[in-house]
Amino acid sequence: MVKKVLIVDDDQEMLLSLEEGLSKYDETFSILMAEDGLDAVEELKDSMISLVVTDLKMPKMDGFSLLSHIMEHYPEIPVIIITGYSTSEMEKLARKGGAIGYIAKPFMIDDLAKRIVTSLRREADGGTLHSVSSGIFLQLMEMEEKTCTVRLIEKSSGKQGILFFLEGQLLDARCDSLRGEAAAYEIFSWDDVSLSIQNACPQKERRIHRDLQAILLDAMCLKDELRRLGKGATPRKKEPSTKKEKTKPVERVKQLLKKEEGEGYGVEDVYEDNSWESFVNGIKRLGTAFQAGAFRVAYIDRGESRDFILLPGESVTVIAVNPKCARDRIMEALSE
Amino acid sequence: MKEIFDDILAMEDVRGVVVFSFEGEILFMEPNLEIEKSLPLFIQALGGIREVDLIFEKSRLYVRRTDTGYLVILLGLFASGAMLRLHVDMALPSLKERGKGKGLRSLFRRNK
Repeated sequence: MVKKVLIVDDDQEMLLSLEEGLSKYDETFSILMAEDGLDAVEELKDSMISLVVTDLKMPKMDGFSLLSHIMEHYPEIPVIIITGYSTSEMEKLARKGGAIGYIAKPFMIDDLAKRIVTSLRREADGGTLHSVSSGIFLQLMEMEEKTCTVRLIEKSSGKQGILFFLEGQLLDARCDSLRGEAAAYEIFSWDDVSLSIQNACPQKERRIHRDLQAILLDAMCLKDELRRLGKGATPRKKEPSTKKEKTKPVERVKQLLKKEEGEGYGVEDVYEDNSWESFVNGIKRLGTAFQAGAFRVAYIDRGESRDFILLPGESVTVIAVNPKCARDRIMEALSE
Repeated sequence: MKEIFDDILAMEDVRGVVVFSFEGEILFMEPNLEIEKSLPLFIQALGGIREVDLIFEKSRLYVRRTDTGYLVILLGLFASGAMLRLHVDMALPSLKERGKGKGLRSLFRRNK
């Protein structure tokens, strides 16, 4: 399986010399380039990246913000920091932020290549398999109670996907812009795949709550149905049922979150709860006092297993989230 | 004390840092901000809350409980939330260390 390494640096000369210097490793990995963090975020959405090498000081979105984005959305992607402004404090911050490597400029390109190759090897430390059916193989993962990350490529289309297993339970999946169950449906519909297994599951957040067998069965049914109808549309996850009474603001919030983040935004529940009203009124007074304008959204961490996002309105809309949710993206989406 | 918050204050779109005691008294403030009466009252009302991130139409407020009180950071809308939290995580051990032993209030410069 071809591995892609994304190099992020606003220094064009550095990018070109890295591209040239690393070209001799093109049988092991290919290079993609981005000029700043925002550019890299887009590249991460579009391609299945195996490793990121990033500078720290960049316009628009710096390396720390990019590192934080990767840890939040793509925890399986290792990040190596390269910087011309190296201090021990910066290194500490980078390591604490999740970087696996920290290299001060100037450096030997072959040293960087060695770090990349060593890290990429871990992607397949559990072995690789070719020409298998994803469904049968994944049932084995469940039976064996494996903890691993499985990267798959469909032979006919070249589509790539990734699955995260914790003790045999399917935690999450990703394929193109799909996440969670929607991505699992897509991957499970592939007949002929090559796959590599990494003996670790860096993904901690659970985005798939259904049993693997049930998803496999639904995926097969949907695939058959699409085949029968002769349509090439991607099968999507069915709407989950909810026991809570639905109201308009709650529905609007659910739709907005779904649109922004697909299925994988870490939201556990959305409901109305006016017991937060006096707290929200306090926030509104604060906004007036600081001439900050209207109150849009609040994120509350009480040190419990769930955090809360509050939205003002006729009633207070409460979104209960996993503390590891895509917090900044949710806040940004809700504040617009 | 200011050096503990240098990295935070140097961040893009960070407008100020204030440390309140749990009783709502200002222990540190940089730069000198005009603090509205409602902020200490709000801080007192936070009780056991560990962290609050508030987004308003024109600006943001980030509040974090510390061992000595509440750290409040005033921000513009473009400040990076993830970077800010990372810097706060880095600053908290130093803040805790400063607060030990000698009596907290004697170590904080009160800006009024």
